[in-house]
Amino acid sequence: MEQLDTIDRIALYLGGGLVLIGVVGIGLIEMIGGTSHPVSGEGQIEHDALVPLEIRSYIILLGLLIWGLYAVYRVVATKPEGGAAST
Amino acid sequence: MTSNIRTRLLGQEVSVSVSDTWLAYWLVVLRVVTGWWLLHAGLDKLVNWPFDASWFVGSTAAETSLGPFVTLFDSGILLTFTNWAVPIGQTLIGLGLIVGALTRTAAFFGAFLMLFFYFINGETGGWDHGLVTGELLGLLIFGMIATLGAGRVLGIDAYLAESDIIRDYPRLRYLIG
Repeated sequence: MEQLDTIDRIALYLGGGLVLIGVVGIGLIEMIGGTSHPVSGEGQIEHDALVPLEIRSYIILLGLLIWGLYAVYRVVATKPEGGAAST
Repeated sequence: MTSNIRTRLLGQEVSVSVSDTWLAYWLVVLRVVTGWWLLHAGLDKLVNWPFDASWFVGSTAAETSLGPFVTLFDSGILLTFTNWAVPIGQTLIGLGLIVGALTRTAAFFGAFLMLFFYFINGETGGWDHGLVTGELLGLLIFGMIATLGAGRVLGIDAYLAESDIIRDYPRLRYLIG
């Protein structure tokens, strides 16, 4: 079984966690705790955001950047003999 | 044929059985359809040249959280670079995915492009129906293609993986499928 190092765990759990919190977690909070939000004729949900959209954006962005940086790290940190990257 | 994947996630041992045939088949379908998405977007801009991204990287991006970075590209040589880099990049990403060449590199840059489209289109009205949009799903599909190294299935990366240069420089295997 593959052994995970600290950087693997950061990418897996922090990166993925932030994306899931931003998209799903805050989405659920908005749906349950936000103001009532009628849907317009064009399907747009009209309500004031409980969590500012900018904050939500930055949470998701940070998660995606962690994933992206991890991808770059994998290439750069792989040892010449093909061993796993070390921390 | 079936493969058993066993690993640990969140401290739990997890396992999943995957049909080898269906996984290989699905990777090719996913790669070709996603590749065509980008190839079409790139070629369409090149065929209908000139392409001008100034509205996107300028006034549109300025209203978003990526504004401070992206608006640096709204004039001069950086705009010229953007006007060429976007269509050529999309075309190369699309080609790379379709033929399975340098697949992980293509998928990485596909996800990189989607990052901008997702936030800039989203924050300027695209999220009116919710934050899960085509761009976010596209980004996740690029992530999946890179994770699974999809280029080795009926792709040029299968040959590249056997080449001397990949054997001599193992880190390069993360650039191919």
